[in-house]
Amino acid sequence: MRLLMTASQIRGLPVVTVGGGEDVAEVRDVIYSPEEGRLVGVTLNKRGFLAGRSRDALPAEAIHAIGQNAVMVLDESSLVAPQDAPDDVGRPATERNVIGDDVLTEGGTSLGKVTDLVLLVGSTGEVVGYQIDKDGGGRGYIPLPAQLSVSGVALVVPNVTEEFVQDDLVGLGASVDEFRARMGLT
Amino acid sequence: MSESFRGSSGRKVISRATASEVGSVGHLLVDAQQRRVAAVVIGRGKKAQLVDWAQLSGFGPDAVMVADENVLRPPADDRERAATEGDLELVGKRALTERGNELGQIDDVTFDNDTGVLEDLLIGNRRVPAGSLLGSGSYAVVVDESQETSP
Amino acid sequence: MGPIGWLIIAVIVVVVVVVAFVVVRRRRRGGGVIATKGKR
Repeated sequence: MRLLMTASQIRGLPVVTVGGGEDVAEVRDVIYSPEEGRLVGVTLNKRGFLAGRSRDALPAEAIHAIGQNAVMVLDESSLVAPQDAPDDVGRPATERNVIGDDVLTEGGTSLGKVTDLVLLVGSTGEVVGYQIDKDGGGRGYIPLPAQLSVSGVALVVPNVTEEFVQDDLVGLGASVDEFRARMGLT
Repeated sequence: MSESFRGSSGRKVISRATASEVGSVGHLLVDAQQRRVAAVVIGRGKKAQLVDWAQLSGFGPDAVMVADENVLRPPADDRERAATEGDLELVGKRALTERGNELGQIDDVTFDNDTGVLEDLLIGNRRVPAGSLLGSGSYAVVVDESQETSP
Repeated sequence: MGPIGWLIIAVIVVVVVVVAFVVVRRRRRGGGVIATKGKR
């Protein structure tokens, strides 16, 4: 049983240093690599009601943990200047919002449209599933394998995913392990 | 003997030389890495002064004793200024685990009045041993992930 | 228009300016969930 959260719940969370207890930034964009099955980093805003964007970024390697209330880093040096961050994080392609993308099985069945990513609480950004608007209506949650094959048109998932559409995050948490066992992965 | 932050807040600070009151306990500044009280903030705000723990004559249940007023000093750096403003006060501070999950707010902190070493952080109905403390600052106190299990 | 009328207009203008400022500032902070370049 795994505790899960969505990527949109991460947006706006404070970035807190473990040793310093300071909120050094907050999360703006969440940058996801479907091929790697995980977040590659986040872009940042400064803290404060009227504060603007931050130019610094936080690559996934520098994240200590993502929790329900904060993204933890070891210290302020985890935030990097845009030129020192991987391109995807330092200069994200903000028009490539994954929300709204179609989800297709390899066999060509449409499962719905992505409304959010689902991550493992406490990890450094492992994406374990998608939240979708099902084609037939209503919200669903589908588990993902560790890596997704990518197509130019939609996010493509294994055929067996169709059997694992859940109604809520709790159901997804319970089914991720079984799904991956079925896929023959650890 | 065990003391608490809440219990000692406002306690008189007395100079032994003059037997008079030089102020009262405003805040206790903590060294999170060493898990001990580093200094006592006497008063609050711009006029507050600090006394390093090592300079105290004693931290008693009824009064905090200093040898004389010379051990009181103004804040020496940004961190100490933040302490006098109350930004670093542990009581009421959000407690986060290093996994990024909130445990609650710190209700009180206990410490040994002889050594200044912290004993427990009281958060809701949890008693978090000070050994779990990883860091503290103006936003939150961070404890290690052994605290992720239910109380 | 009497002085009260001008005062009311001034207050409304100030409120509109402040709200506009806050809205623009807050919108610059908007974020999204973004897939990496070249991958869909």
